[in-house]
Amino acid sequence: MEQVQRLRTALAEGDEDTSTDLARALVEQGADLPAVIAELALEMEDVGRRFERMDIFLPEVLFSADAMKAAMAVFGPELAKGAARERKGTVVVGTARGDMHQIGKDLVALFLGIAGYEVVDMGADVDPLEFIHRAEETKAEIIGISSLMTTTMPGATEVIDILKDKGLRDRVKIIVGGAPTSQEWADKIGADGWAEDSSGAVDVVKELTATESGRA
Amino acid sequence: MAYRMWEIMERSATGPFMEEAEFLNKRIPRKMRDVVKKYGITYDPAHPVPADDGLADAVWQAAREFFVEVGVYNQDTHRVMYFSEDEVDEALYTAPSSYRVGEGRDARVFGWRAVEDPRPPFCIFSPDITYDEVDHLSACLAYMKEPLLDAICSPLLEEFMGRPIQSRTPWEIGGSMEHAMNLRHAARLAGMPGVFMIAVGTAETDVAQIAVSDAAWGVRPSDGRLVGSITEMMTNNAMLNKGAHYQMYGSLSGNLAGTIYGAYSGGAEGTAVMQTAYHLKGLLVHSANFEQNFPFHLKYGSNSGREMLWVVSMFSQAVARNTHLVMDSNGFMNAGPGTDMLFYETAAHALTSTVSGANLWESAPARNKHHNHGTPLEARLGCEVGHAAARQGMTRAQADEIVNALLSKYEERIPDAPVGQPFQELYDVRKAVPKPEYLDRYKRVKEELHGMGVEFPY
Repeated sequence: MEQVQRLRTALAEGDEDTSTDLARALVEQGADLPAVIAELALEMEDVGRRFERMDIFLPEVLFSADAMKAAMAVFGPELAKGAARERKGTVVVGTARGDMHQIGKDLVALFLGIAGYEVVDMGADVDPLEFIHRAEETKAEIIGISSLMTTTMPGATEVIDILKDKGLRDRVKIIVGGAPTSQEWADKIGADGWAEDSSGAVDVVKELTATESGRA
Repeated sequence: MAYRMWEIMERSATGPFMEEAEFLNKRIPRKMRDVVKKYGITYDPAHPVPADDGLADAVWQAAREFFVEVGVYNQDTHRVMYFSEDEVDEALYTAPSSYRVGEGRDARVFGWRAVEDPRPPFCIFSPDITYDEVDHLSACLAYMKEPLLDAICSPLLEEFMGRPIQSRTPWEIGGSMEHAMNLRHAARLAGMPGVFMIAVGTAETDVAQIAVSDAAWGVRPSDGRLVGSITEMMTNNAMLNKGAHYQMYGSLSGNLAGTIYGAYSGGAEGTAVMQTAYHLKGLLVHSANFEQNFPFHLKYGSNSGREMLWVVSMFSQAVARNTHLVMDSNGFMNAGPGTDMLFYETAAHALTSTVSGANLWESAPARNKHHNHGTPLEARLGCEVGHAAARQGMTRAQADEIVNALLSKYEERIPDAPVGQPFQELYDVRKAVPKPEYLDRYKRVKEELHGMGVEFPY
């Protein structure tokens, strides 16, 4: 237990090397890895909350996420020997066509990953049809589109229009966000969710995937 | 001659390869953390306008080291461009300290200012807000009528002939041309045909910028243009296209850079260092003639909070003390028009910027996101405060006291700032003038500022 606590501290401090060493030690000791990972998830949730309050900033979150990845790189092969990990869902994210501003999308991708979702990050300036193709390929439940300029907001509308034209609108949920966007605009274009920031986006995705599970 | 565009194109194609995530997620935050620590840069919330020359010089040194070691990333080629210390020195030495901008009797001098400079700031009026297409000309005219206006950028458009303007489509080209035409027409109607326009903001893409270059109806070589920065210290070929076009067309080029507080650079210290470093990126990568600075808060999208005013003051002082580069400070406020809070925020931003050595670009209200929510009156107040502070020889220490007093009036309301009212409710749109009750509110706040120690010339 002490080592798990030390591993949590390594995550909080963004110490990749210590994280790797402690993860290896836990594997060698035959620790209950799903229980350890649950503890680490709690630590990362706390990192997210501290970032939301701006007690810490993005670099600290990135360093913590790297430390988490380092531990998971050690645990991964061991976990593969056991039962499959719970699948929370897949989200395709990117910025709307013509939009080069990535920070909002990057934060959403980072925190969705921390929350345990599979994230397909398509980067910036994504063609509307490419969003849909990638969602089909990856069987994603959700497409997230970020716009930082009013001139790129129509890119999100295009994705929804094409989904309707292809008869796929009920197969995938659309969430939108970005500085000039609003809930009112999201409702107007027929999106399924809107969030003001990255933590809000994770909440929306949780809500939408829970709804999906309920339907299934 | 590293800062010549052909050399940039060469380095952009041949610099060392790097994954974008490696550059953005590891290299930038790690090096920033190192230089902030090495140069002992510390944010003191008690003094949003610090009077510490040593701290300003430390920010400059940190920024310079950061820029030289980190380089600039081209997203399209996935290569890093590096610049040597000698190249930085050469670019800084050869950069002009002032420009004559605009034409004829409307021409002005846009130049470097010192910390606590008694010369008034160059005043660029721009709400950076979109307006209804039908009211766009009136909004442009209302700004053109402002007495202290030296230059103008937006109002912006988000529709062309009733259809949403979408990046990289004919609607963007059409909307950008309409924006340029309205600005030019408004300038003529206001009797300022030669006014310096930094235009046009509706044209986000390189093709749209190229489309508005026309001396007869659009952007003239005597006008200014902007090259934006992508996420921290990154560029791409579209931005390089813009830079190349501006140089060949002859326009003055501004490097538009907004470091995000709380993001890759960390807190106030890293944000100030990054914003300072952007002056070198603009100069060496985009051959920028001036720097257009708008650092903003990740959560609020503004720069009028306490930590952001400290950032504004620090990068301005760092650049003003260590270079003769021409730059301005662009205000982004939380509250919207028709509120006292917006006037207080704009005054605090203008005061901080002016005594710290910056010129003024005022101002984007309501977190720069609410359609029609911007008026010339808040910019007028900001520029009047800037003129007053310079003319009366206000020191940083005096400004610090006033800015603290202003912050006490609004900083607790930042998270839930009022959106205010649209242009159409506060202005007589047909006459393009403020309504009497709005003018009364402005006059009342101006009186209040006078009582706090701002000695307005009129």
